[in-house]
Amino acid sequence: MNMPTQALGSWRRILGSLTLAVLLEQLPWSGWALALRPDFVLVGVLFWTLHQPARIGFGAAFFLGLLADFQDGAVFGQHAIAYVTGVYLVLFLRMRLLQFDPFRQAAQLFPILLTVQLAVLLIGWLAVNPPASLAMLLPVLSSTVLWCLIALFVRLWHGKGLQDRA
Amino acid sequence: MATPGQLMFARRLGPTARLLIWLLVGVSCVVVDARYRALDDLRSGFSLLLQPAREILRVPSDIAAELGGFFARHRLLQKERDALLAERARLLVSVNAAKELVRENAELRTLLQLQTRPGQQAVQAALLYQGHDWFAQRITLDLGGGGGLRSGLPVVDATGLVGQVSRVYPGSSEVALVSSPDQLTPVFVERTGQRGLAAGSGHGQMELRYMPAQTDIRAGDRLLTSGIDRVYPAGIPVARVSRVSRSQSSPYLRVECLPLAGLDRSRVVLVLIAEPQVTTR
Repeated sequence: MNMPTQALGSWRRILGSLTLAVLLEQLPWSGWALALRPDFVLVGVLFWTLHQPARIGFGAAFFLGLLADFQDGAVFGQHAIAYVTGVYLVLFLRMRLLQFDPFRQAAQLFPILLTVQLAVLLIGWLAVNPPASLAMLLPVLSSTVLWCLIALFVRLWHGKGLQDRA
Repeated sequence: MATPGQLMFARRLGPTARLLIWLLVGVSCVVVDARYRALDDLRSGFSLLLQPAREILRVPSDIAAELGGFFARHRLLQKERDALLAERARLLVSVNAAKELVRENAELRTLLQLQTRPGQQAVQAALLYQGHDWFAQRITLDLGGGGGLRSGLPVVDATGLVGQVSRVYPGSSEVALVSSPDQLTPVFVERTGQRGLAAGSGHGQMELRYMPAQTDIRAGDRLLTSGIDRVYPAGIPVARVSRVSRSQSSPYLRVECLPLAGLDRSRVVLVLIAEPQVTTR
């Protein structure tokens, strides 16, 4: 299962996908789409941390977290701390995550994404004021679905059929 | 395996140590930003970086809106035109009355030797981006310090008060919406003249705070800005009372209101720039 990680991910691909994720978040989302919008940048960072831990890690996560803080108008450091926590959890569970097929991987990612969002919630609560509602946990679900789709796509791309249970 | 010159037992910091270091950096960022507001330059930098991307990515939805407008039905347009003409006639009548009142007001003010109120100038700005923050609701406008905006100016749309400019960047600015939890608006009840303080309560709603239990207020009352804070001009519609309930534990009424402005619908808003205070005497 380590095989595709070598073929995957030159710098160009990593930077390209992360830039795409940042740009996707700049679209003028509104209403329900905004409430359900997956955290593209977080999913991108965690994906590359899983597959290329030597290249994408704490530093990139922190910088992209600051960017996310800016675009939400949140206090600086809120998303940065949360993303760094997510990277740590992925590094901690890395060997295990790489064993799984996309669906199980997404199921394992769900608690990690939830922890990241709870960290955002907690820091915002401490630094600014109590959150308006718990609707902020909705993106966790959509991010998990997004992860599942990306993992399936990468798997098909590398010529492994859906039936193949690694 | 080991090439010459490579350390065999080279150790990098473990993930836990690196996590702790980054957490420390993050916490200091939070403290520096929330307590000392020292990172505004970084915000300006990010805004310069992301502004072009946002403007380009706004184009598809603009084109969709244009296309939708282009294919609007002829009958619909005619109906709208008729309605607008009728409204224009009505407004012209009230404009005449308002002019008369302004003149009369000015005379009375000179009689009473009051200071004239500062004039208002409205600048149009378009919605650039809607933030996704759960702790304060903000939108980003495509007009910034270059357009004469500064922090604290009121923002309105055709139906009411939208919010207040909270941060200004060179080419864009952030507006804290009236429904944002930390946003307070001094208002008065249109029907009775009772003054009060409206605060955002998140998820698109507002509440009127500190209303004693015997206050005359009911669902359907309109709240207008009272103008006593010298930030908002008096008389801008803010919200409509949706529910009034009495609580056993608190001496105050619980008054829920819905903002009148299209907080999540307006694409174009007006920023009211006050002219410098004119002192006639």
